[in-house]
Amino acid sequence: MVETIRVNLKVNGKQYVLDIPPDERLIDTLRYRLGFTSIKEGCGRGECGSCIVLVNGLPRHSCLTLTATLDGAEILTVEGLAPEGKLHAIQVAFLETRGVQCGFCTPAFMLLTKALLDKTLDPSDEEIKQWLASAICRCGSYHYYFKAVRKAAEYLKKGKILFDEKEVRKNLYKLPLLR
Amino acid sequence: MSKPEYVEIVEKVFDKTRSKPTKEFKYIGKEILRWDAISKIRGEKIFVADLINLFKNPVFVYSVRTKYAHARIKKIDVSEAEKYPGVIRVLTYKDIPGINDVGYVIPDQPLLADKKVRYIGDTVALVIAESLENARDAGELVNVEYEPLEVILDPLKIVEWGGLREKEHTLIHDERGSDVVSRYKIRAGDIKKAEQEAAVVIENEYRTPMQEHAYIETEAAIAIPEPNGGVTIYAKTQCPFDTRRAVAQVLGLPFSMVRVIAPSLGGGFGGAEDVGNEIAAKAALAALVTKRPAVVLFTREESIIGHAKRHPMIARYKHMAARDGALLGVEAEIILDTGAYASLGPFVGWRAIVHSTGPYRVKNAKIDLAVVYTNKVYAGAFRGFGNPQVSFAVERQMDLLAEELGIDPVEIRLKNALRNGDRTVHGQLLDHGVGLVEAIQKAVEAANWYEKRKLYANQKGLLRRGIGIAVMYHGNSIGAEGADFSSATIIIQRDGSIIFRTGLTDFGQGAIQGIVNIIAETLGVPPTYIKVEWPDTAATPDAGPTVASRSTVMGGNAALVAAYRLRQRLNRLASELLGCDPEKIVIDAPDVYCSDDPENKITWQELVEQSFWKGVPLQEFGYFRAPPAEWDEETGQGAPYMHYTFGAIISDVELDMETGVVRVKEAVTAYDIGRLINKTGADLHAIGGYIQGMGYAIMEDLYYSPDGKVYNVSLSTYHVPTALDIPEKITPIWVEAGFRRGPYGAKGLGEPSIVAIAPSIANAVANALGGRVEVSKDVNKIPLTPDYIYSIIKKHKLLRK
Repeated sequence: MVETIRVNLKVNGKQYVLDIPPDERLIDTLRYRLGFTSIKEGCGRGECGSCIVLVNGLPRHSCLTLTATLDGAEILTVEGLAPEGKLHAIQVAFLETRGVQCGFCTPAFMLLTKALLDKTLDPSDEEIKQWLASAICRCGSYHYYFKAVRKAAEYLKKGKILFDEKEVRKNLYKLPLLR
Repeated sequence: MSKPEYVEIVEKVFDKTRSKPTKEFKYIGKEILRWDAISKIRGEKIFVADLINLFKNPVFVYSVRTKYAHARIKKIDVSEAEKYPGVIRVLTYKDIPGINDVGYVIPDQPLLADKKVRYIGDTVALVIAESLENARDAGELVNVEYEPLEVILDPLKIVEWGGLREKEHTLIHDERGSDVVSRYKIRAGDIKKAEQEAAVVIENEYRTPMQEHAYIETEAAIAIPEPNGGVTIYAKTQCPFDTRRAVAQVLGLPFSMVRVIAPSLGGGFGGAEDVGNEIAAKAALAALVTKRPAVVLFTREESIIGHAKRHPMIARYKHMAARDGALLGVEAEIILDTGAYASLGPFVGWRAIVHSTGPYRVKNAKIDLAVVYTNKVYAGAFRGFGNPQVSFAVERQMDLLAEELGIDPVEIRLKNALRNGDRTVHGQLLDHGVGLVEAIQKAVEAANWYEKRKLYANQKGLLRRGIGIAVMYHGNSIGAEGADFSSATIIIQRDGSIIFRTGLTDFGQGAIQGIVNIIAETLGVPPTYIKVEWPDTAATPDAGPTVASRSTVMGGNAALVAAYRLRQRLNRLASELLGCDPEKIVIDAPDVYCSDDPENKITWQELVEQSFWKGVPLQEFGYFRAPPAEWDEETGQGAPYMHYTFGAIISDVELDMETGVVRVKEAVTAYDIGRLINKTGADLHAIGGYIQGMGYAIMEDLYYSPDGKVYNVSLSTYHVPTALDIPEKITPIWVEAGFRRGPYGAKGLGEPSIVAIAPSIANAVANALGGRVEVSKDVNKIPLTPDYIYSIIKKHKLLRK
């Protein structure tokens, strides 16, 4: 039997006590043990950036991080951006700027945006590019994602953090909804 | 023969709306958020690997691959591997109950190698274990005895110039007796006479790289055993019905016992076409052997060595023109390297030859093309499908002609561009819907072409700018590749919501949203009422493969036919309820009324409820078949595709003369897509296609060791464009020349968006290098890497002060 290590983790605001093998990667803990599948594995080597999560507020490749090293850490994934029925300003900005294509990389780009905007609400164009260069979008939505970062910054500056999902849907489509 | 009703519907809708500007439509051509955007920004479980947690007690399948790129298999011994902890079974070709083949077009590709291995990704055994780690570790213990054979990586070792005759060489496919997969030709007019009459003749050789799709989601499949020996597979596949055929063949089961479901795909670009069959078959095999859910997950390295690539091309072109720039003839020999297996190579070769003279009036042509095997990773479908390769050569040739003749590159293209009423090189009459000239003019205006061209002449500094144009056309759908049909089901639910079923998959491309827009416009309901089901061979109708820029046109036509029929029925019922002519019924859900009495309304829900009670069926199936394509194998004459998308691209680049680094600063793309159906998706596609094409032009290639191993099997060695590499601005422009057999006149955009990017960039680089023909002729291969460009600068002493 492999020896396990006890790790206290706060993921998306909820406390977990886990006994895990010392060689377990954070991405596997999050995806397969806890079910946070918004984090994607695209390469397993810290190159594509799809597995990025925020560890104590900073972006980290969850495929290159051993969970056992994170005792006491706070982790944020896209599932933790907003409670049920709400959407975070960053998610709203990504919807409004319409850059989502296959959507596989989008969670990582949103978390990179979160970390950047936690640091500054007035990022320069160069800063935005540098931060977003940590992940790859093969569909080529980068220009839209740059716009999304600026849009999200506007919302956050105005103190608008959480949006009602139904309202967002209504405003986005500007079309009648069935329910 | 009378026209089928579905063709009449499509033509009727086109004729009725032909002169209606796109801005006057309610949903068509609007910036509508894609149907799955909210689930995607919430990070919901929509990709195959996200579903693993939903299945209890899965087994994991690992593919043990060959150590040699070309060898005969003497013996496979799995006994040690089977003893490894956690291992349940190790399978080899002997364990395949059906036919051991996953070849897409011709049966040349075993799922598990039996007699030979032909490239570094060939699978020799499948380890099934309790964990992926156990399976991988055990894979090291599979013992294969090989007899290594000569590894051939150069297609010029298979065929030779001057007729593309096959040379004496070690056969890769001994069982076929030849390593030429297929040959095509075009014979039009009198090429000898054209050459005699020509004022200029330009000859050059071109090379294009083996591009990797690098979709961020790697291959994944989960197979679940079903009662009575059947199997359900969730797989990353672009074409679930093709995947079902392949799996059924490997398992020896009837199609009805194999169910393939394709959830959202994290990118496809053509690459998720045949590898989808392979991973699904591997998972299904393991599920049936173990009677447990079976998971196949590729690492990035397995993905890069294990799925089809873009065919590298080597071509020799000879263009002949009159003094005024009129094209007199094109002669060419083209070699496409399909690697170890044919995959879609025969079809890629065919699309390449169809497009091998570009969107020009060419009356005299002699083109020969061969698709050949080598021991590289196999090449198959990749956005563009043979057209980006030949377009690179053709568009470089056009610029060389222009330089030689002292004509502006735009002018030489306008002089020769296909127009309404022209015939293609195959003799196909284009009687309507040719928007190429308009696309060129609009792109030229938006890019400030003439001013910049003047500004960039005679530069001396270390950073030099260049501007280049390339044009393209691209046949819509699969043409003469096979039976070209699509189908769709629309079911209006009793509460007024709508279920849309199609076998077409969504890998981000936006076509499905386009079809939703078509249904919404036709029925008069907001797209938000419409739910798109996951493609599922047991539930959604076979819509043909999701390839060949066919979804909007073919899938859209099928959906249009279904929606149109539903709308007719609803109009009739509403006319009874409201008391006016059915033609006057306006459905603008939730409101339904007569056009001359808008105050007297009923609701959409009321109309649906009444349909239920009055026996008006609310389900409809739509089918559309493209007119059969014509192609004469001996001459390349006929009508290869039902219609073509046209485009013009202008790229503005900066070249660092000291390092050879090329950066694209700005670009304009103008495409004639018939009718703009999905504005958001089209813009994204033009821009995304540009970025992927830019990768093809300046940074992407697969590199091999002499023994056939791939050097760059990771994303830090295989470079794709990141946020730091892209142009500051890419401006999409839309031309809407219409197409009578497209839904509301629409044509495809999926592949066209990458076809002419690389030549526009290469032409801009040649412009930055000064535009002298002898220098320009050396800009004849992509990617335009810094070392390559620097070698040209050095050779021609372009930096001498």
